[in-house]
Amino acid sequence: MTRTNTSGVDLVDEETTLNIARAALFAALMGAFALVSVTVPVTSIPFTLQVLGVFLAGILLGPVWGGAAMVLYLAAGAVGAPVFEGGSAGIGILLGGAPSFGYLWAFPLAAVVIGYLVHGSTEVRRPSSVSPARLVVAMAVGTVVIYAFGALGLMYVQDVGPEAAVLAGVVPFVPAEILKLVAALGIVRSDVLQAG
Amino acid sequence: MTLVYEPGSTPAHRLDPRSKLLVQTTFVAAAFVYTTPPGLLALTGLVAGMLAVARTSPLRSLWEFRVVLPVVVAAPILEGLTLGAPWFVLADAIGPALASVRVLLVLLVTAAYVRTTPVRESRAVIQRSVPGRPGQFLGMGAAFVFRFLPVLQDDVARIRNAQRVRLGAERPVTERVRLLAVAAFARAFDRADTFALALQARCFAWNPTLPELRLGARDLPALALAAALAVAAVVGAT
Repeated sequence: MTRTNTSGVDLVDEETTLNIARAALFAALMGAFALVSVTVPVTSIPFTLQVLGVFLAGILLGPVWGGAAMVLYLAAGAVGAPVFEGGSAGIGILLGGAPSFGYLWAFPLAAVVIGYLVHGSTEVRRPSSVSPARLVVAMAVGTVVIYAFGALGLMYVQDVGPEAAVLAGVVPFVPAEILKLVAALGIVRSDVLQAG
Repeated sequence: MTLVYEPGSTPAHRLDPRSKLLVQTTFVAAAFVYTTPPGLLALTGLVAGMLAVARTSPLRSLWEFRVVLPVVVAAPILEGLTLGAPWFVLADAIGPALASVRVLLVLLVTAAYVRTTPVRESRAVIQRSVPGRPGQFLGMGAAFVFRFLPVLQDDVARIRNAQRVRLGAERPVTERVRLLAVAAFARAFDRADTFALALQARCFAWNPTLPELRLGARDLPALALAAALAVAAVVGAT
């Protein structure tokens, strides 16, 4: 039997509750996006919307809670929520069991970097007030972080050299990333979404 | 068809989640040290044993990891290819091919854990192994992700369906991605607001009651296996 602890209930304050709920919903949405594949015209390479989720985590939630949302995504996947690529899960994937391992570890870092570059501090500003150039630079840097980690992960997990890692893990996805960057810019500039 | 917990009464279900996580971690370490044909053969035998104890079908589990398979197959081929004669160097492809076998073995071990461990237990492990508020945040957050994942998957499927029946699939890709993301995020934010209110109404606290975890005699074989794997990994690495 489990003993219920009734003494000293330590309530979570209002703002933190909202931030935790948003971070959790964001992480769950990343998991839902892992199953959505859209095909890029011409190259016909399918891609998921996960990196778009990382962009928006940094931009909408800011560096602190955006990063926290991505950490939650990894933690939930590690203990078995089917949130990784194609509905896979498990701590084995984060320990180097799957080729996607480098990309996954880069998500929290990229969200923090993007959030910091967009907002300039840990304070969250209204995203539509940030200049488009700044948004593009932030997302481009985030993309570089994700793919650099991704290629390194691929070299480690698959025991291949840098050329093969870039050919298999970076080049095919460049068109899709440009497309997601444009889409994210459209979303933020249209000001329909905000975590205010 | 995704990998989720399935209730059952196999010996693997009855193990403490901590011993299962320990076995997984040491298995990954050993697999990285012994990425050689004899090493992987021995580990394959071990995986077969673990899957049998967890009554998990290897073929079904591999099917659930099917998105990973293209990279696993492509990596050795890409590494073996060269520009110019002889076009394919077999020796270069051997290392990546062994790594691909290792990937498959680790994925199968992971599948056995996920299939036999309920969410509540995993949450309790997180909260007990990461101290303080960060551990509590990770534990409760992971539990919320489990709770909302099916709901949001349903939201996303419904949005895509609505797009499709209105011939939205004819729009350019950027437009489709933008519309899907806006609708999905707007719903997720709405749900987060309602959820936060509901949590507060129910005295959302940093210190909830968790299921008790107890290591018992039945965990001894698993712990012994983890210890053996750890020793083997350390011996092999030095």
